[in-house]
Amino acid sequence: MLIPEVGRKKFHVRLVIGIITGFLWLGIILHLIPFWWMITTSFKPYYEVFSTSFLPPRHPTLVAYKLIFSIPATARDVSLVYPLWVYLKNSAIYTGTIMFFQIVGTALVAYSLSKLQSPRWSRLLFLFFIGTMLIPGQISLIPRYLIISHFPFPTKHIPNIPFTNIAFPHHNFLNSYWAVILPMLFSPFYVLLFKGFFDGIPNELINAARLDGSSEMGIFRRIILPLSKPVFAVVSYFSFSAIWNEFMWPLIVLQNQKLYPISVQLYMIQRVLSHRGMTTTGTTDPDVLRFLEAGTGYNGLMALAIIESIPVFIMFIIFREQLMKGIKLRGFK
Amino acid sequence: MRKKPDKAVKKQLAHIRRVGWVTILPQLIYQGIFGWFPILVAFIIAFQTFRIIGPSTFTGWDNFKIVFSDPLLPVVFKNTIYYTILSLALTFVVPIIVAILLLEMRKSMIRVMMLLWFIPISGMAGIIIWKMWYNVNYGLFNQILSALGLPTLRWLNEPHLVILCLVLPGLILFAPGLIYIASLQGIPQELYESAELEGCGFWGKIWYVTLPRMRPIIAMMLLLSVISKMQVFNEPMVMTGGGPGYASRSVVMQIYFRAFQSLKFGEGTALSVIFFFILMALIYIQRKYFKEDIDK
Repeated sequence: MLIPEVGRKKFHVRLVIGIITGFLWLGIILHLIPFWWMITTSFKPYYEVFSTSFLPPRHPTLVAYKLIFSIPATARDVSLVYPLWVYLKNSAIYTGTIMFFQIVGTALVAYSLSKLQSPRWSRLLFLFFIGTMLIPGQISLIPRYLIISHFPFPTKHIPNIPFTNIAFPHHNFLNSYWAVILPMLFSPFYVLLFKGFFDGIPNELINAARLDGSSEMGIFRRIILPLSKPVFAVVSYFSFSAIWNEFMWPLIVLQNQKLYPISVQLYMIQRVLSHRGMTTTGTTDPDVLRFLEAGTGYNGLMALAIIESIPVFIMFIIFREQLMKGIKLRGFK
Repeated sequence: MRKKPDKAVKKQLAHIRRVGWVTILPQLIYQGIFGWFPILVAFIIAFQTFRIIGPSTFTGWDNFKIVFSDPLLPVVFKNTIYYTILSLALTFVVPIIVAILLLEMRKSMIRVMMLLWFIPISGMAGIIIWKMWYNVNYGLFNQILSALGLPTLRWLNEPHLVILCLVLPGLILFAPGLIYIASLQGIPQELYESAELEGCGFWGKIWYVTLPRMRPIIAMMLLLSVISKMQVFNEPMVMTGGGPGYASRSVVMQIYFRAFQSLKFGEGTALSVIFFFILMALIYIQRKYFKEDIDK
């Protein structure tokens, strides 16, 4: 405590506490403004979007949502061919698959390094798994793309199997779900979090279970898992929001719109709605005009943004208790 | 524990190690292919002409010469460095201050405030809201300015202002940082009490107890944020597309355009190798001058 417990009744101390409280609430309010904006704007008809700013809608309407969900029927633009649920489904597939592998994979690695390996190997393997985290990700951007495009060879030229004329088996994963999923299945950061937690679990507990004749995986399932709920919750939440928000990689490897996650599609739609439509007045773009006539533009965008944010928000609600407890995690030294 | 291991113990230990290897084997292979292999490959592709049709050939330093003769190179580096400095100056300290002050509140208040502060907004949604606020004709900021009778600004369309505009969302779209709060809670209370006995006030305690204790975490976070800010992509890509002109094109955007729009994989990789060495130099400098342990 910076401010001692005893003198808290004095006037100037109370003044300081008051100022701090005010400062923090100001920050919270600023933090919440975008949410307020997003929610109110999505319920406004188009003629209110810019005239009422911060005020709640005078004539609340669901027209923005209706239009967003009827996109393929109302738009001719190439980037608006598929209905919204296609992108939500894609995002769910990407997030579910990657999350599962990331959590299981990194938890096992961390457990093995923390409890099963000899100290010397544990240190070496730790560097092997964590090392890529310290290396700026941009360097592997292009090579990863090339590896995905003729897996597992990063070259145009596939070498032949020795003594034959047959090229090594390879596969082009571009423009498929795998292009997004494959390179993201493992994340060193979560090894760090898990290992920090597992290191804090006393070895005696595990040795006692071994004496009772438990198998190693049995110990992991019956003793470690129930103890580590908080760290699993934190990793799940981090992993979920990281994958759900992932933008750059899907943008690079996917050309087929049918496979876009919602984050990339949101980018595409906002380009149609705001870039062409609203920054230049007097647009003649038929799609934008139709959107505007139907009463959407930025209100539609905000409806989309809400739909995109809801899953992250739900995850936050689910994991909030564990996140608050997770503050006491010893993830970092 | 260092008793002479008998046969059964030895056997069990061997079994444990074996299980240990089996559980990490798939991840080991995966990390090899998608973690380390691409880094190695980058250094090879950077020296190749990488055409879409026909085999690639080694061309020595050609790719690097092309990258260095590119008139856009100084522009994208200037943008990126400017963005990094501005964003660290404006947004790095705020979460630390908030975390320190937050823990001064009553227990029940901390809970409420943190819940509100951690409410997440998805990355793309946050960026789009700000883009809308910056709109020259209808945006919130220009509405406020004209309501106050001030001249309106061109925000994202103004080359001198655009980088600042990309940084500003970070001022309100942040959470106080679990890491800072965790490290603050690890500071023993006795330190504050003894600091009090020696006559330290509010600022004294922050300066002599809190900050030195948080130093390792701050140093680590500074390193991580420098690296991630330098590799900025989403904000300029979505908000401006790199414009107006090239005023907000970042280095990673340049790599992206070179490789995936112009399909010049060799040149793109050459640029990312150059950028790699710059970032590694930054990491090295930081590790050297921000010694991490304080309990000497």
